[in-house]
Amino acid sequence: MLEHRNTPARDPERVVLLGAGGFIGKALNRRLVEARIPTLPLTSSDLDLCAEDAPARLKETLRSGDSLVVLSALTPDRGRGIDTFMKNLKMIENLCAALGDSPCAHVVYFSSDAVYPLGTGLIDEESAAAPTDLYGVMHRSRELMLLQSLRQLCILRPSLIYGADDTHNSYGPNRFRRQAHAEGKIVIGGEGEETRDHVYIDDVASLTHLVLTHQSTGILNLATGNATDFGSVARHVAALFDGEVEVCPTPRKFPITHRSFDTTALLKAFPDFTFTSLEEGLQLAHEGMN
Amino acid sequence: MTAPKVGFAGMTHLGLNSAVASAARGAHVTCYDGDEALVESLAAGRTHIVEPDLDRLLGEHAAGLQFTSDLATLSDRDFVYIAPDVPTNDRGESDLTGIRELIERVDGSLPAEIPLIVLSQVPPGFTRQLKLRAGRPLYYQVETLIFGQAIHRALHPERFIIGCGDPEEPLPEAFRTYLELFECPLLPMRYESAELAKISINCCLVASIGVANTLAELCERTGADWSEIVPALKRDKRIGPHAYLAPGLGIAGGNLERDLNTVIGLADRHGTDAGIVRAWIHNSEYRKHWVLRALHRRLLGQVEDPVIAVWGLAYKPNTHSTKNSPALALIDHLDRYRVQAFDPVVKGAPVEALGIVEAPDPREACAGADVLAIMTPWNDFKQVPPADVARVMNGTLVIDPYRTWNPAACREAGLTYITLGSA
Repeated sequence: MLEHRNTPARDPERVVLLGAGGFIGKALNRRLVEARIPTLPLTSSDLDLCAEDAPARLKETLRSGDSLVVLSALTPDRGRGIDTFMKNLKMIENLCAALGDSPCAHVVYFSSDAVYPLGTGLIDEESAAAPTDLYGVMHRSRELMLLQSLRQLCILRPSLIYGADDTHNSYGPNRFRRQAHAEGKIVIGGEGEETRDHVYIDDVASLTHLVLTHQSTGILNLATGNATDFGSVARHVAALFDGEVEVCPTPRKFPITHRSFDTTALLKAFPDFTFTSLEEGLQLAHEGMN
Repeated sequence: MTAPKVGFAGMTHLGLNSAVASAARGAHVTCYDGDEALVESLAAGRTHIVEPDLDRLLGEHAAGLQFTSDLATLSDRDFVYIAPDVPTNDRGESDLTGIRELIERVDGSLPAEIPLIVLSQVPPGFTRQLKLRAGRPLYYQVETLIFGQAIHRALHPERFIIGCGDPEEPLPEAFRTYLELFECPLLPMRYESAELAKISINCCLVASIGVANTLAELCERTGADWSEIVPALKRDKRIGPHAYLAPGLGIAGGNLERDLNTVIGLADRHGTDAGIVRAWIHNSEYRKHWVLRALHRRLLGQVEDPVIAVWGLAYKPNTHSTKNSPALALIDHLDRYRVQAFDPVVKGAPVEALGIVEAPDPREACAGADVLAIMTPWNDFKQVPPADVARVMNGTLVIDPYRTWNPAACREAGLTYITLGSA
């Protein structure tokens, strides 16, 4: 549940994006520039959050009126081991050290729905965050580190995000699109029975923009409230190609799991927001790829 | 047989309805409340609450009812009920300050031989912990008041559950004589059992509601219709014809929430598992926003400056109470839209406080509306033909969670009709 500090919404003085070179960072930067909000996008090349001098450099960079969006993380495609886990924690340790002495006006932390275990039914913001892998534990640990250090904090937990510029290529619409493009087929696990909530990247950027302008605090899941099975998603993606794209089931290796979100908190926080439909979003991602 | 002389202390919902029903059953009743203006009003036959048959019975049995703001007037009673409503806070927790103060005053004012019977909603352990004058007989009687059916329930109880210091000891004769006027079984038990019996009844009701809500939502997604399933369940002897199987918008009213929170508090304190009770509360919160989710799915964000008509503000029909009302919970999240509301009973200042437009009648509330949400299933609304409403609305969407209207009649009138438990 979010609480808005700004009602009505007001543009932040400046937004500093940590992790601006990633999939979400680029989309959010675009959205903020379109909205003419002063933005300082920083990538890991500009500022290595794991480095010893990171706290000092952050202190030099940040101003008290800034809104800070934290997207920096080594995602599972960059490693799932303890080393990656510890580096991810180091980033937030350094960030907390920097913000401890000179907090900025508002911090938005991008967590993940990986903090919720699978197979626990309909998820809302009050569902127990009891992650079952190091990636989920990493995000939950970072949330707690930030919660202990900051007051004006918003934690966003996005579900599966798709869009043309995705860099992770995880199982789902992004991989399906690339696979169809490169190989003329889409390989799905089992019959693709698992349902997930797929969010279009521009919607994530728009919602983050709303969180920033409302200076919202609290926890919000970024999900549409509509879960679709991977098989249907694959067939949607396949249908967007001119030539025939085969959707290829494979023998099932893992039990079927589902994940659905109760998005009432989002409806309450941003009543006027409407999500891009999956059909439209897949079409846009397809066009972006071309 | 001499009619028992009964006293009631506390003239809010529970006390007033119980007192009037007692008079209707033939008891001589003296009603005490410290609020002089309230007493004056009741003595003149004016009630401050809405309950079917209350005003009529108050008028018919005025001779057997005396109202007073002088505690000493209760000194000639055979026994005295302690019957104020116990308020709850936003978390459903009881505030026992008022009832404790009242008991202390009554105990200090009346002769020690007059039995006191606690009728209010109190947590397990409350009655035995009371420190009264030496020799004062003390009992706890379970109330099963239902808002909107309070008089009927008070006149025709299924049974009396009486908490006693020692259930083996006979009840005082006058008390027993009075209870027998109602022609129902008496179940004496120890205080703690009676206090927990009340909570147990409510937990069973909530469990049924939870089942109905969970399965009704599945019906909405699978093409089944919960209204077709309910008759099959009610014919099952293990479930029964009066089972609470109507899907709804979560638990409202305050009393059930209070009992659920009491169970959780007790379970936590005693180290027992109350996970299922927490799940009921969570499910109730989720269901409370069913209409809000339907509005977003069907209308909001798709129509510019939509006008929303709301019928019903009370938490259920035949009551003026809006505590935890689903209508108010909905309206709280519609502050950026024009909301036009009508309720047969909730009028004036409470509506004004919501910052919405109060319509003079149901049809007027629908004038130019893009959607009608029927949030309280008042009988009055059943009398309004859907075609009349369709004519004055701008849109066609009707959200009727409680199936107040006939779905087929709505569709015939060209309305898009959605309800709980049906696809």
